[in-house]
Amino acid sequence: MTMSFSAPLVKIKSLHKSYGPHIQVLKGLDIEMKPGERVVVIGPSGGGKSTLLRVMMGLEKIDSGSISFAGKPYISSEAADKKTVIDTEVRRSIGMVFQHYTLFPHLNVIQNLILAPCKVRGENKASATKRAQALLERFGLGAKASAYPAQLSGGQKQRVAIARALMLDPKLMLFDEVTSALDPELVAEVEQVILQLAAQDMPMMIVTHDMWFAKNIASRVIFCAGGVVVEDGPPEQVLGSPKEERTRDFIERVFHIRH
Amino acid sequence: MAYDFSVVLRFQDALALGLWMTIKLTLICVVLGCSLGFFIGLARTSRSAFLRAVSSIYVEFFRGTPVLVQLFWIFFCLPLILGVELSNLASGVIALTLYMGAITSETFRASLKSIGPEQLDACVALGLPRRVQVTSVILPQAVLRAVPTLLSNCVSLFKESALVSAVGMADLMFVGQNISNNTARPVEVLTVVALIYFVIAFPLTRAVTLVERRVLAKLAI
Repeated sequence: MTMSFSAPLVKIKSLHKSYGPHIQVLKGLDIEMKPGERVVVIGPSGGGKSTLLRVMMGLEKIDSGSISFAGKPYISSEAADKKTVIDTEVRRSIGMVFQHYTLFPHLNVIQNLILAPCKVRGENKASATKRAQALLERFGLGAKASAYPAQLSGGQKQRVAIARALMLDPKLMLFDEVTSALDPELVAEVEQVILQLAAQDMPMMIVTHDMWFAKNIASRVIFCAGGVVVEDGPPEQVLGSPKEERTRDFIERVFHIRH
Repeated sequence: MAYDFSVVLRFQDALALGLWMTIKLTLICVVLGCSLGFFIGLARTSRSAFLRAVSSIYVEFFRGTPVLVQLFWIFFCLPLILGVELSNLASGVIALTLYMGAITSETFRASLKSIGPEQLDACVALGLPRRVQVTSVILPQAVLRAVPTLLSNCVSLFKESALVSAVGMADLMFVGQNISNNTARPVEVLTVVALIYFVIAFPLTRAVTLVERRVLAKLAI
């Protein structure tokens, strides 16, 4: 075994999360993600994949545990009153794209992109617009700058959503089932954009049901079921020859392999 | 009985003045009432239990009592309680503004509620501070969504403003009623009055439908 001196980018420690008193979604999750890794999280519905991403983005309260980013703890739970403490400064290093686009419908594409840079970082409008336009060109959306979200296809909306998140120069991107709501013929254009980011070594954590995509983008695959990590390893192992029985069952079902 | 509509023409100046009063009253109360309704709508969705309680009582009271009673109360009781004489216009404006505020606050409240939680998720993921979430994302969408219903509210107010004739304000209805009484020509005069209201209100209701279609098309995501 080689010693690695690179500190983990993300360190999730015994993360617990429940909805109400009876529904435990995350039951003590421990994940360490190294810089430059592209982690794909797969698993059955209700297994806690999306919840994990939402917790990492600070969108959900947690019961206990903690998450650090680049050595800085930014999400934790105070034992005393069970309050979830979020360091919003650290959280700003993380970007997220959702299943349902969540573009702002009253703003056009450029305005969607420059809102956060201008309002959060105080960047001036001209420079933000210039960066936004360049990003749109890169994603094949140069002509859509002044279109409103309602005038775009699902695939275009999702690419705009990715561009909007990138405007804040995130150090980690979270993709939560970003192609699940898309018509099949639009999936590829969105996945191409994410692969493009991967080629630039953007660290990312991806929840997806698309196993072809998982195989092509992952540097590591985590199989999550019942609120815990069941299997964790390189894609060839987890997707190709899983060690755990539950992983094998799941993979067989999603790949429709018949014996 | 022969109808003689020329009687209406003889009183056209008086009718025009009445119509002007109706329009003036409606416009003032549209502006004041919508502004009031906006803040009441915010108060009703506020985190403060006190603001929610006060605004709810106000809205339920004005929605749960006849406008005519509200008008009479403001015209005859409010001056007694305050000990100041209010002009007819001032009383009319106060009464209809309070009524319009209650109605439009419900419109704003509904549009605020119609904004899905995923919009807030996006705000958080982009690190937008609370103030920016409200002013740049939530409120513009809420106002945009409210516009069609607000226009309907305005058309309703225009028609319901005829009630002020009952407390002696010289609006279109009041003038029409007077002419009809004095000339004993109710059919001609009151028909024309009804037509004047209709000619103004009808295109506005059509416009509401058009605006609604455009707003919905824009906000469809």
